[in-house]
Amino acid sequence: MSSFFIAGHEFHSRLFTGTGKYASADAMMASLAASESELVTLSLRRMDLKHQTDNILQPLQQHGIKLLPNTSGARTAKEAVFAAELAREALETNWVKLEIHPDPRYLMPDGVETLLAAEELIKKGFVVMPYVHADPVLCKRLEEVGCQCVMPLGSPIGSNMGLASRPFLEIIIEQSAVPVIVDAGIGAPSDAALALEIGADAVLVNTAMAVAKQPAQMGKAFRLAVEAGRIAYESGLGEKRVQAQATSPLTEFLGALS
Amino acid sequence: MNIMLNDAPFDFSGETLKDLLDSLGKETKGIAVAIDQRVVPKSLWSNTELNEQSQVFIFESIAGG
Repeated sequence: MSSFFIAGHEFHSRLFTGTGKYASADAMMASLAASESELVTLSLRRMDLKHQTDNILQPLQQHGIKLLPNTSGARTAKEAVFAAELAREALETNWVKLEIHPDPRYLMPDGVETLLAAEELIKKGFVVMPYVHADPVLCKRLEEVGCQCVMPLGSPIGSNMGLASRPFLEIIIEQSAVPVIVDAGIGAPSDAALALEIGADAVLVNTAMAVAKQPAQMGKAFRLAVEAGRIAYESGLGEKRVQAQATSPLTEFLGALS
Repeated sequence: MNIMLNDAPFDFSGETLKDLLDSLGKETKGIAVAIDQRVVPKSLWSNTELNEQSQVFIFESIAGG
């Protein structure tokens, strides 16, 4: 399976992972190790001054996984730029997953604010990975302003509904000159395999792995699915057709019996 | 003196931002600080003096998707 690059960084795994919703840091690390993911997302929040937060940074860094802070919680471009600057300081990386969703009920990304924030962040030297709706026009605009990849959604965050946006993802993939990472809604390994089969460069998975009864096993299942999907894409899938086409030659060798 | 820390009054006996972080006894890896809506780089924590008007926000890295 071929590797791919974002902003000059080589990734051998095409499975990116989130760190939310795991029952424990140990379960998270076991799942991530089995997934062989090379990049994980993290969030920021105001520090809880009364309680100690589980230290998940140390095991992630010991494991050599690249950290990608997100701007989750930002409702406007201004808030997202501020969150990105905080994240750059906290995690010592200029990479950021730009996400702006004003309505917590549906968590739909705001395309207008995302484009504004992306332009600003790129001027400030960030590697911007924007989480957006599966909108081919917006993805092209984000690429044109200098985003190093695009991250269109498969379906709403945490919904496990898979690639509801498939027709639009296919247009994005066909048009894009930067890597396309299908983010959000991937609920099963088969969804991830499908994303890779249709030509996505990678997927980002969180909920489906974190809430599994066996998170480590599910991490492995996603690893295998992503590998299978990519290998299938690189091998070249056959065309779909309505009518049957014989796999065996129709030589009518039994014709004499009728 | 009293400062505002994460939107709540906080009694602080030191002088600098670093003093404040030391007094909290928190892990400083993976955190960021903003004063009056401006991010303060780690390299300036020791030199950044706080006063009664300081609005300090401390952020920490947590799990997320």
